[in-house]
Formats: sequence, C-alpha cells, structure tokens
Amino acid sequence: MRRRKLCWHGPLTPWLFLLPTVIGLLVFRAIPVGAAFYLGFTRWSLLNNPVFIGLRNYKEAFASATFFKVVTNTVVFSLIYVVGVMVVSLAFALLINRKLKGINFFRAALYLPVITSAVAVGIVWNWILGPQYGILNIILTKLGITPPYWLGDPRLALLSVSVVQVWKMAGYYMILFLAGLQNMPHEVLEAATVDGAKPFQKFFHVTLPLLSPTTFFVLTVAIIDSFHNFELIYTMTKGGPQNATDTLVYDVYLNGFVNYRNGYASAVAFVLLIFVGVLTLMNFYIKKKWVTQG
Amino acid sequence: MRKNNRIQTTGVYALLILVALVSIFPFLWMVSSSFKSDSNVFSATPSLFSDMLFRKDMFRNYQVVLKEFQFSRYILNSLFVSLSCAIGQVLVCSLAGFAFAKMKFRGKNFVFSFLLMTMMIPVQVTIIPEYFLMMSFGWIDSFLPLIVPSFLAGAFGTFMYKEFFEVVPQPLFDAGIIDGVGAFGMFSRIYFPLTASPTVTLFIIAFMNAWNGLLRPMLYISTDKLQTVTLALTAFQSQYDTQWNLLLAGSVISILPLLILFVFCQRYIIESAMGSGVKG
Repeated sequence: MRRRKLCWHGPLTPWLFLLPTVIGLLVFRAIPVGAAFYLGFTRWSLLNNPVFIGLRNYKEAFASATFFKVVTNTVVFSLIYVVGVMVVSLAFALLINRKLKGINFFRAALYLPVITSAVAVGIVWNWILGPQYGILNIILTKLGITPPYWLGDPRLALLSVSVVQVWKMAGYYMILFLAGLQNMPHEVLEAATVDGAKPFQKFFHVTLPLLSPTTFFVLTVAIIDSFHNFELIYTMTKGGPQNATDTLVYDVYLNGFVNYRNGYASAVAFVLLIFVGVLTLMNFYIKKKWVTQG
Repeated sequence: MRKNNRIQTTGVYALLILVALVSIFPFLWMVSSSFKSDSNVFSATPSLFSDMLFRKDMFRNYQVVLKEFQFSRYILNSLFVSLSCAIGQVLVCSLAGFAFAKMKFRGKNFVFSFLLMTMMIPVQVTIIPEYFLMMSFGWIDSFLPLIVPSFLAGAFGTFMYKEFFEVVPQPLFDAGIIDGVGAFGMFSRIYFPLTASPTVTLFIIAFMNAWNGLLRPMLYISTDKLQTVTLALTAFQSQYDTQWNLLLAGSVISILPLLILFVFCQRYIIESAMGSGVKG
C-alpha cells in the first residue's frame, strides 16, 4: 500500500507512453534482427519460401574470393574513414576554437557538407574526379602530372570514396571536438603556459589527455558511422570497378535486391552485425586503458 | 608581443580561408555549373564563371529540371515524407523520453539499453526482413515504409528527451502532483511545453535524415510519381549522365530546402551536435 502511494502514476501508464516505441522496436528492430539470423541459414529469393540449408551460406561466403574482398574493403574503408575523420576534425576543431571575427561563418562553412545528402555530394565529386573533364584531373594535367582515373582504377576507387566520406563528415566530428575543447579547464592550460611548455608539448601532454573522454566518444560514433557508406558508394561507384568499393553494407544490398539471393544476403547482414558488435565491445574494453576520466 | 599576435591571427585566417574553401568549393562549383549551358560545363578551361548567369535564360536549367523532370513533384513528396518522419519522431520520442526520465517501472533498463543498442545497427542488417514485412503489409510502393519505421523508434531522440526531462527542476513536478495533474497532463501541460530546444533539434535531424535517405526509397518506391528527391536524382544521374548542367541544377534543388533550414537553424544544429558530444 505504501509503495503504491510513492508512485505518482499507475503501473501501466509508462507502457502507454512507450507503446509506439516498443512496437517500433519489436516490429522493425528485434524481429528483423532475429529473422536475419534465421534467414542466413536459408536459400530464399523473396518470391519462394525460404528453404533451410544450414551453414551453407556462411561456408560459401568464407570460401569465396569476392566475400574476402568485401570484408577487406570494409576494413580498409573503416580504417581510412575513422583515422582520417578523427585527425582532420581534431585539426579543424583546434583551428576554430578561438574568438575571432567571423568564426561562426567558418564553423558553418566546415559543417555545410554534413547536412548535404550523400547523393548530392556523390554527384559533385563524381564530376570533380571525372577522368576527362573533372577539374582535379585538368589541374593535375596543367601541373604536368599524368592524371589517374580516380573512380575507374580498382587500386584508387576505394581510397577516393573514403576520402570523400571524410570530407563530408569531418565537420560533424569537428563540432564534437570543439565542445570537448571548450569544456576543458582553462587553469591547467594556463599553468602549462606559465611553466614554459611549448605549444607542441601543451598539445600532447595537456590538451590531448584532457580531451580523451571526447576522443573516446568521437571514436565510438565514427566507428558506427564508418558503416554508413551505402549512399555514397551507390552514387559514386556502385561497388565497382571489379568489386573494389563493395563493402558489407553495399554487399547486402547487392545480394538481396540486385541478385535476389536473400538468404545469402542475410548471412552477409549478420556478419556485418557481428562486425559492428565486436568493434563496439573492443572499443569499450580499450576505453579503460587510455581514457583518463569520465 | 603584439606584432607577434597579429602575424598569428593573419596565419589563422589564411588557414581558415583555405579549409573553408576546400569545404565549400564543391558547392560553389555545383551552383555555378547549374547556371551553365551544356557546352560551357565541359569547356577545356573550366571556370567558376557561368555563361548563362545574368542573362535572360539563366534559370533555364532549373525550369527544365523542375517542369520536364518533375522535380517540383519530387520535392513535395520528400517534404511530405520528411515532415511526417520529423513530427512522428518528436511525438513518439518525447513520450518515451518522459517515461524513461520520470517514471518507475520494471524492465525500464532493459528496454532503454535495447533502444540504445539499436542505434548501432546499420539499417542494412534488418532491411531484408523489413522488406518482407512491408511486402506482407501490402505497403510496397507507398510512402508508409519510408515513414513508419522512423516514426516508431527513434533512439537518439528518446535519449535526448530523457536527458532533458531529467534536469527539469523538481518544484515544477511537485506543483503538478499537488494540483493533481494526471500522467498525461504532467507531460503535455508541464513538461512538453519546456522542450523547445530539443524539439527543434530533433525535428531538424529527423527531417534531414528522411530527406537525405536513399536506401528505403530505392527499395520501396517504383512508381515515378512517388519518387523522393534523392531517389529521382540517382535515377536522373544514371539516365542522363552527360547532361551535367541539368544534373547539377537538380542537385542544387535537392539541397536547397536543407540549406534554408540550416541557415535559419544553424545555432540549433551545431549546438545539438555539441550537446551530444558533451555527454561523452
């Protein structure tokens, strides 16, 4: 009796508030994840009923050179993206973390690519990187350098797409780092200056350690975000040339909706899920080793 | 000392201008080329100057894209889908955030952690079962598959509202209890009216995500009249790859609504990104 009085709402009220969310979680998240797990063990093409075939999809995947290529591409893309976006955005944040006239304009300018759709970004960069009329290659030719075929050369295509993705997203992480920088206690930096620390020393021995909680958050978000490359790849290369830009998220689409191999695509989707899960766990595990507080 | 500062400031400005240029240049070029004629786009010496600019027919590319390629229609479709998603997320996430912040019930932690976990799962993991689900609902080739999933479960928004509601001063809550306000009244009359800043933030983010989305429109929409802007743009790209002036005019049109939103709500957008960083 006393317990009930302490609670200001009925026992079912919270669930009423959560009804849409719980339905959404079940119908569009929990059940599909479970279904993807099951469907990974079937042969299925949407029109027929799924046929249970055990581990055959996984065996096929792990034995195929294409899948190996897809996994490698995913790792390479994520590595370039995560490292690139963190270095560039931290540099941007350090650059815009000051009171100057018009600084808001520069912040907005660097943030602009973030709000633009990946489709529009892909189209413009397709054009910039174009083999004959692309402005980049025209400039390179004028400088006397033989211009490469950025998106048509299997050795360069993945690099080009990941760099464009870094270009598109750096502004987002810049703002996160900026928040971290502005929350930093000024006294410590001032003390370091008084003690005669050089800017370089200050950055590595004071700023960077103090920034580690933010860096951890940025790393976590960037890792999750590194898998969101479908739009850009679809717009720029469609996975080609010769699977050079075919990543796990793109491969799910290719197998599921282009080749209509939904059982196999579900197996790929599940490998993707494991990838995300392992990376996130690893990230939280290593957090203990290098994040100073928080 | 002062002279030193001046040199430093000049250096910083030079760097700022350089990175800003790298960041804006593709947009500048996109806009300028959208005012070029077909032959001018591919001139051997590319220039930012558009040959059609300030002439009588300077908007010709835009007219062609809007009328002949029906982009005005796609804009309306995207507006409808994005507005629905944004309004839905605000409603659903604020309700859920309120329950998580202010109510006690069993299973709260479980549901909340599950919700946060789903934030990490790329949509591609669940898209095949989801497609099958939409097919069995008979929703293929309608706006429903684009709206309903994002309407129903927004982890980011729920998290943001929860954090916000938790720091609302306790006296407001107590006053509501003394006045005998029910649970829904507490939410709708006392708490929700305070949420201007998270609501604007979530509205913008949800709108942006829906507007820029490509995978779902690609899979679910086949009727030309129902296409969204991004979908129409990709279709346009693969069909008219050589008409870059039109394609770029289409791209400009596709980012224009977000650009306007950004100019007016810049402060909110950047603050919200910073806010989520502070939490760490």
